Amino acid sequence: MSIQDILLQQLANGLILGSFYALVALGYTMVYGIIKLLNFAHGDLYMIGAFIGFLALSVLSPLIGDSWVGILCSMVLSMIAVGLLGVLIQRIAYQPMLTAPRLSILITALAVSMILSNGVMAFTDGEYLAFSTDLGYEGLELGNVFITYTQMVLVGAAALLMTGLYLFVHRTMYGKAMRAIAIDQDACRLMGIHVNRIIALTFFIGTSLAASAGIMAGTYYGSIHFFMGFVIGLKAFTAAVIGGIGSIPGAMLGGLLLGLLESFGTQIPFIGTEWKDVFSFGILILLLVFKPTGILGRTEIERM
Amino acid sequence: MIENHLIKKENQMRKTLMLSAIGGAVAGLFLCGQVMAADLKIGIMVPTTGSEATSGKDMENAIKLAAMEINDGGGVLGMQIETMTGDDACDPQQGTAAASKLVSADVAAVVGGYCSGATLPTLKIYGDANVPFVIAAANSTKLIDANMGNAYQINSTGFDQVATAVELFEKQGAQKIAVIHQGDGYSEDLAKLTRDKWTEMGKEVVAYEVVNKGEQDHSALVTRIKSKAPDAVFWTAYYADGALLIKQLRQAGYRNLIAVGDGSNSPKLLEIAGKAAEGVYCFSNPTVDYLPAAKDFHANYKKTFNQEPDAYAALAYDGMKLMADAINRAGSTDKDAIIKALGETTSFTGIAGPVSFTDKNTLARSNFVTLIAKDGKWMLNE
Amino acid sequence: MDRIDAKAPTSAEVTHPGGPLRWLESQKNRLIVLSVLALMAMFLPLISNNYVLEVMTNVWFYVMLCLGLNIVVGYAGLLDLGYAAFFAVGAYTTGILTSHFGVNFWLTIPAAVFFSICAGVIIGGPTLRLRSDYLAIVTLGFGEIVRIIARNLEITGGASGLIGIEKPSLFGFEISQISHFYYVFLVLACLACFVSYRLQHSRLGRAWQYVREDEDAAEAMGIDRVAIKLYAYVIGAIFGGVAGCFFAAKMTAISPETFTFQQSVLILLGVVLGGMGKIPGVIIGAFALVLFPEVFRDLGSSRILVFAIVMLVIMLYRPEGIWPEKKS
Repeated sequence: MSIQDILLQQLANGLILGSFYALVALGYTMVYGIIKLLNFAHGDLYMIGAFIGFLALSVLSPLIGDSWVGILCSMVLSMIAVGLLGVLIQRIAYQPMLTAPRLSILITALAVSMILSNGVMAFTDGEYLAFSTDLGYEGLELGNVFITYTQMVLVGAAALLMTGLYLFVHRTMYGKAMRAIAIDQDACRLMGIHVNRIIALTFFIGTSLAASAGIMAGTYYGSIHFFMGFVIGLKAFTAAVIGGIGSIPGAMLGGLLLGLLESFGTQIPFIGTEWKDVFSFGILILLLVFKPTGILGRTEIERM
Repeated sequence: MIENHLIKKENQMRKTLMLSAIGGAVAGLFLCGQVMAADLKIGIMVPTTGSEATSGKDMENAIKLAAMEINDGGGVLGMQIETMTGDDACDPQQGTAAASKLVSADVAAVVGGYCSGATLPTLKIYGDANVPFVIAAANSTKLIDANMGNAYQINSTGFDQVATAVELFEKQGAQKIAVIHQGDGYSEDLAKLTRDKWTEMGKEVVAYEVVNKGEQDHSALVTRIKSKAPDAVFWTAYYADGALLIKQLRQAGYRNLIAVGDGSNSPKLLEIAGKAAEGVYCFSNPTVDYLPAAKDFHANYKKTFNQEPDAYAALAYDGMKLMADAINRAGSTDKDAIIKALGETTSFTGIAGPVSFTDKNTLARSNFVTLIAKDGKWMLNE
Repeated sequence: MDRIDAKAPTSAEVTHPGGPLRWLESQKNRLIVLSVLALMAMFLPLISNNYVLEVMTNVWFYVMLCLGLNIVVGYAGLLDLGYAAFFAVGAYTTGILTSHFGVNFWLTIPAAVFFSICAGVIIGGPTLRLRSDYLAIVTLGFGEIVRIIARNLEITGGASGLIGIEKPSLFGFEISQISHFYYVFLVLACLACFVSYRLQHSRLGRAWQYVREDEDAAEAMGIDRVAIKLYAYVIGAIFGGVAGCFFAAKMTAISPETFTFQQSVLILLGVVLGGMGKIPGVIIGAFALVLFPEVFRDLGSSRILVFAIVMLVIMLYRPEGIWPEKKS
């Protein structure tokens, strides 16, 4: 492989990884934008999405086979289920805490995250579950760069979901209400917007996007595990911060950028794979210290 | 005021409850650690909770089965064996607590040891108490240095595995290899030993990489490895991440040899990696499936516990049998005598093969075998 | 917080007639209870076996760690998700200095304190101006960075860590048995309690409370909030660092696997369960943390799950922890 081929292949790798990051980062950003809550449990909802998808698929596949239709159906089911779970978590755990000190709400979010991941651990005995779908390795060879059809479908699906979200937020009344609540909740209430309902809707959409990423990851990589949400949760948060937390296009941009950064990062001499995570966390810390608003975020002055 | 008073009282109540709860917990500990009268008490140290609980419980079962068989055959020196389990939870801190628990209960000897990291700090405790310890599964080379003379490893160490691995790579005509580990003590140890051995032989290690636990996407690493065109890729860590790596290597069009270490010896790897795992080599300590001598054990185990024995069951079973054999030869339960008898073992043959020890208390003859994945199953190579 | 405060008694130190538990109220009787507990703690090695001692030593060790984190989380109100990093700095300082350079154990303690302060300043200095949720993530990232550095470097022994760390001796007496370590950790825990208590009631302690309750008002009153938070960070780091030194000496082997995010979360659980900012509460939290898996062996693997559920319930219904609030 020539160096151009390697870089092109890494570009493709980065874009695929980045679309997963972007999908998960969107949920962080939406929730943060609307109620200023850093939802630690978001990565775990991604994981739950994969598990519910697994469950749905194992029920559906005897009926309709391991086809794309089966995967699509279980994806939709899992998105709805996890979306509802997200709303439930918001109602039970976050709603009562909205006026509490920030420390309390952060700890609450941490507790929810631990309950979800350790609950699944207890349920599955910490085992790895294997997805039975084998999506095949056929693909397109462009020069020395190889992309499977599955990868193309994944990136396409992610792009579709993100476009849909963008249109929803910017072209519908609900989207308008979301954006308005992000700016001033009290004023919205006075204007007759059903604030709680819109917040619930935001949670629903954000968590179901994470679930969609979860089941896509499950079918693509082939195995799921209770711990799978932790790393991607952190990475997606980094992505959201890079793009500017609270900004939807920012999360998409941040996700893709982080994906590219990571795949090109492995080619940098001396950093290699050993120091990869130090590199990503280092970038996150530097960014938070020097430009906490990210690339597309608005500067805002806020009480801590 | 009345309301205040009630709350106050409630608070006091809570404090008292709290104190009694702590008292109760401490008292509970006392009970746990209490010694019960027994003829011959042998400790089992394995993880029965935590991430490695499945393998640990499996070892515990195998050791108990061995003890039952010995007892049915008249026991050791006329005494019946009673086992007592200490759970190390695969964690160094809980490991020291488990070791202290066994030592406090005055066990005559200990069999077990699955996680090298958790076993390491316990060697000091057993060493101080001079308790004979047969380490059945843990095989990090660090254990050799920390051994105070009372512990004996009946699983082949990393050195033996590397020898087996290098032999395979050479036979397959490999010149350039890539070694990948997962950043934990066990897999790093194995990866380093392989790298050093291979470069010592004048050949090239083109990539020496680490994968972070829990990550799913290894495509960037795979591209990097593929660009270095190694003749063989050696994954030294566990099955779950190994399966993902194998899948992604094959998906990216890497066609050469892939080998995995004994941590990846699991049918789960084949299940997750699917058809990508075909032709992958695996180095394994002797497991029941490949041991002709283990047929009876296999059947008995299935009958007694209603499940299949796992990777380390055979060694754990041998560990208990070896310990009983040593006590018989020592002729007493004197700890020094047992340790001496263990060291002098020459004629013991377990289901995993004959046992004798080097001057470092490790197994004299490597018992590693090479497996190959065929039709979704691990088979003995050749 | 309001809904709880509304129910709290206005003056708690008023003694109420009746009730068998009344005597716990007075300072004197509290001292009696305390001395009985202290005596029990002191004479435990005489009446118990090594297993109980091992577990109780672990309890005192976590008491110290939790009290250290309590300064950051409970007193100053900053969420730290990477506390294991400071504990790692102390443990590795002792490990490296004693095994690579042959330094006496006791001399490694000042070195560990020094490095802990450095680590506290490096991470706290630039980040304490951040929003508190960003701070949580930064500390998490920092904790992971420290662990990965320890895993990758040659001097820290890589992923296998360091083994054969020498046991310390004091005036020619070698601290090697578990009963010796029991007393060492008991003394450390008491010291940690004492320092925490004095800090809480010092000028600095009041400043922390002020900043925690209302940052802007505190600043308006002339409190330098960044400096105050940095103090909390650094003092918390020192607690962790010193605990780490003794941990390394006791275990004689350390590896990066001990200093994971899980460990940080465990220490945080200890702080939150009993009641943030309250010394008795934190001690109870540490007890629960260590004793739970030993007593409920069958539930051992779901320890975190049980604790997390308790923590959620506490945050929702009793944000001030299990230990009753003392209002003045």
